[in-house]
Amino acid sequence: MNCRRAAAFGLAALLAGALGPGGALLGAQTERVLDAYGQLDDPVLQARFERITLQLRCLVCQNESIADSNVELAADLRRQVREMLIAGKSDDAIFTFMTDRYGEFVRFSPPVEPKTLLIWGAPFIMVLLGGIIIYRVARQRSRLPLDDEAS
Amino acid sequence: MWKFLLPFAAFIALVVLFAFGLNPNRDIHALPSPLIGKPAPLFTLTDVVDPTRIVSNAALRGQVYVLNVWGTWCVACRQEHEALLAIAQQRLVPIIGLDYMDERDKAKQWLEQLGNPYMAVAFDTDGRTAIDWGVYGAPETFLVDGQGRVLYKFISPMTPEIWEHEFLPRIAAARRGGA
Repeated sequence: MNCRRAAAFGLAALLAGALGPGGALLGAQTERVLDAYGQLDDPVLQARFERITLQLRCLVCQNESIADSNVELAADLRRQVREMLIAGKSDDAIFTFMTDRYGEFVRFSPPVEPKTLLIWGAPFIMVLLGGIIIYRVARQRSRLPLDDEAS
Repeated sequence: MWKFLLPFAAFIALVVLFAFGLNPNRDIHALPSPLIGKPAPLFTLTDVVDPTRIVSNAALRGQVYVLNVWGTWCVACRQEHEALLAIAQQRLVPIIGLDYMDERDKAKQWLEQLGNPYMAVAFDTDGRTAIDWGVYGAPETFLVDGQGRVLYKFISPMTPEIWEHEFLPRIAAARRGGA
């Protein structure tokens, strides 16, 4: 086995694990679309509005959140979230409203449940896998003679 | 042993993954509707041609019907229009239109020029009915049974083949089930 390549693969797996869902969230710091309504008067509601719309997928342009998208459907959904917030609905009620109509796919961070275990577990599996590979390669190398001409 | 088995297992895993992922018949943007088997959302809207007329799907209780979501801005809707006209000719089930994100004048013109396959067309002014139905594009075509449950949703332009293979058997089954 080629040690250097294996070690690189291990590192890549580690990185992929670390950047998994967290990385996707970090990447979401894009420009926000402005609606005709302007901001909500209550800053607490406005903060919730921003958080919720960032976590809802725009189904027309499937890798954008409805907070980021200019598509009409996204604007309609933002209006919906806004109205539900003003009506005093909880975050859960809003997410349930959306998943009842569009399915789990509409949520960028799906709840942890049996069928989403693989999504949430994948980063840890990747880290574990990378760790095992690096450990084995390191151990293999430590057994090589010092004037290493192999590989 | 591992040296041989591990790459082989990885290879098999990739074959399975690609067989699923690269299947040209799979529309990667089509999503299963959570509405299937659930009561169809009710709407009461105005008719697109005659704004004084009310179109409500509550009145359709007891019969199987098709709801077709379209708009004049939607190129694929024009593409499927011929198929819808042919389906309407069969007089098998009523087709209700839901005109989405549109303007009345344009919609009227469309129906006059291309023909009207719909029993009635509801005008969804602000997209709320579309949200209730989980619509995210057009055309989308729903099949609703006599108990007012959503049986099936098809996303993409309707074709005679889809109608024959996906809709007709379900309509027959719904009617046998005593709708």
